[in-house]
Amino acid sequence: MRGRTTRRRVLGGIAGAAAFGATGLVQNDTTNVGMVYATGGLGDNSFNDMALTGVENAAEEYDVEFRNAEPGSPSEVANLQQRFAQSSSPDYDLICCIGFVQQDALAENAQQFSDQNWMVVDTIVEADNVSSYVFREQEGSFQVGHLAGLLTTEEFSGGAGETDPDNTVVGFVGGQEVPLIRRFEAGYRAGVAYANDDVEVRVAYAGEFNDPAQGQEIALSMYDEGADIVYHAAGGTGNGVFQAAQERGRFAIGVDADQSVSLPEYDDVILASMVKRVDEAVFQSVESVVNDEFAGGSVNELGLEQDGVAAVYGQGLESEIPEAVKESVAESREAIIAGDIEVPTEPGEV
Amino acid sequence: MSFGRLPTDRRLLAGVAGLVLAALLAVEVLFPANPVTDVGAVLVTIVADANYVSSVLRLTVPIAFAALGGIFAEKSGVINIGLEGLLIISAFTSLAAAAALGGGDPNQTQLWLGFGIAVLVSTLFALLFAIVCIEFKADQIIAGLAVWLIALGLAPFASKVIWGQVNSPTIGTFNNWTIPVLSEIPFVGPVLFDASPMVYMLLVAVVASWYALNRTSFGRWIEASGENPKALDTVGVDVRRVRYTGVLLSGFLSGIGGAGLAIGRVGQFIGGGTTMVNGRGWIGITAYLFGNYNPFGAFGASFLFASLDALQFRLQQVGYNIPSELIGIIPYVTVVVVLAFVGRTRIPSAAGDHYESGEE
Repeated sequence: MRGRTTRRRVLGGIAGAAAFGATGLVQNDTTNVGMVYATGGLGDNSFNDMALTGVENAAEEYDVEFRNAEPGSPSEVANLQQRFAQSSSPDYDLICCIGFVQQDALAENAQQFSDQNWMVVDTIVEADNVSSYVFREQEGSFQVGHLAGLLTTEEFSGGAGETDPDNTVVGFVGGQEVPLIRRFEAGYRAGVAYANDDVEVRVAYAGEFNDPAQGQEIALSMYDEGADIVYHAAGGTGNGVFQAAQERGRFAIGVDADQSVSLPEYDDVILASMVKRVDEAVFQSVESVVNDEFAGGSVNELGLEQDGVAAVYGQGLESEIPEAVKESVAESREAIIAGDIEVPTEPGEV
Repeated sequence: MSFGRLPTDRRLLAGVAGLVLAALLAVEVLFPANPVTDVGAVLVTIVADANYVSSVLRLTVPIAFAALGGIFAEKSGVINIGLEGLLIISAFTSLAAAAALGGGDPNQTQLWLGFGIAVLVSTLFALLFAIVCIEFKADQIIAGLAVWLIALGLAPFASKVIWGQVNSPTIGTFNNWTIPVLSEIPFVGPVLFDASPMVYMLLVAVVASWYALNRTSFGRWIEASGENPKALDTVGVDVRRVRYTGVLLSGFLSGIGGAGLAIGRVGQFIGGGTTMVNGRGWIGITAYLFGNYNPFGAFGASFLFASLDALQFRLQQVGYNIPSELIGIIPYVTVVVVLAFVGRTRIPSAAGDHYESGEE
């Protein structure tokens, strides 16, 4: 075992030296980016895929090459970060760490690899070589909550769903009950209450981001209790919510990406999605490295005002949603940006 | 006989009573604002709901199929702790096969074909495990762990090869089977006669497994192979063949469970983390131990664990926030309690041992 490691190290050294020599000879301006995704994996049709879109856009616009790493479990995250940081062929100019699961590992690795530029999405790591991007999810969630609260009291039908005007109930399915996901819940609850104080909000956490069967059963239980609209912040678990919405002929609200586009088979029940522009965060950070403007230690907070979060109507149902409802939602957006509405970050504060 | 059994029954009763008391006490401590009587009323309204029972049955399917499979393997003398891995393999294969057959949008026939292929692949995987354990006399626990770990790595890897990502695209699922007239019966109708095909298959599988184990000579061979293989050998039955059959059946039944979860219910394979199977195979093992190797017992235990899970996320919605992690450990705690204190579950004497014909 030891012999093999040494051999690998020697080989790595030779390869590194060769790469170094090569860069000396050929002027190589390519920016190399390492992507470490959150444990949900690519193909979650939301969070991770958005990050991929961001780096793909950067690769289209600039001379950028990137490599993906998908950790199977939180324990692999640290290792994958290190592998990129240690690599000398190519030498990564930026390592993008996607998701709050990266926090502890990055706090250590940022110190250990102090020359490496890092960026992290969804959490803050305080180090001079880390640029952190966080979103005000509560603001976007307020928006979709406002929409849900308005529609559940109306008689509304479109696509494969309809509301039941006798019941004014809406639901929220969370992945794990962590502060991040609680921000979604808090904003959503506040938005629903802003629309109508009498609407009941049913909330449950699945405990996992990778269990769509569980998400489906939870959403079904909400629809059966009269919920017209269920919003999820549960990654892959949330795909079960859409399935349940179709089964019961009710509506759902997606998260992170415009899920009516990424999951077109559900666009007849997805009213809207709370889009988190992870792509924008990744793109901006890569761009800053390309332009030699990387700001280590910075914390970039992206809210409604910066277009970091937004309520985006589903492509299948956008035209069906009444104009008056859309106008109210647009008004509350302005009010949040202007500071007239304080959006809470903890469900208890609603 | 009845005299000898009394203390065990009484101990079981005392155990159950103790658990109920502890639960009531926990409610009092955790939710001081809501006295036990309120919680009781909430519980009654939830449990008496047909939607709740349907949901529990659906959640039971993968757990109970894994448990039934585990019974056949372990009773024949081969402990198969790789059930979780078999569920993962079949969940993945069902999706991959159906998607390949139907070009991304498979119809019902193509879904059923995918289902069949997944069951076959899971059975072949179990065959591999059987060869390693029976032919090459590998330690069954280690080989079983390997089955799980290989599946845990292989399924997401194959997903990446096929779809370029650990999660599959979404496809359709099996339609419900609705039995006319009978489905109109209040409560029973929607639960039993307007259900997923997987639910019907499970109910048939439970009865068939019980019948096979208790009323046929094959059942007696399985029992003897796990309890006293030498005696079975003496009467001229090939122990190895019985054991192979036992393990293959575990692959077959787990295959139905895993494929039923992926294309019977969700229409997608999620390969991140613990994958979409998410520990259901492990709970299956606790279910058959709790059920004392009886198919009805295993079904009951699976149903119980699933019902606690379904209860938990309903209670969350009305403000009783019991952490799902806490509910998640209940099967394991139960199995420890049952094995250690109640002592009714007895592992087959020769389970885990190799048997060599003609060995002295």
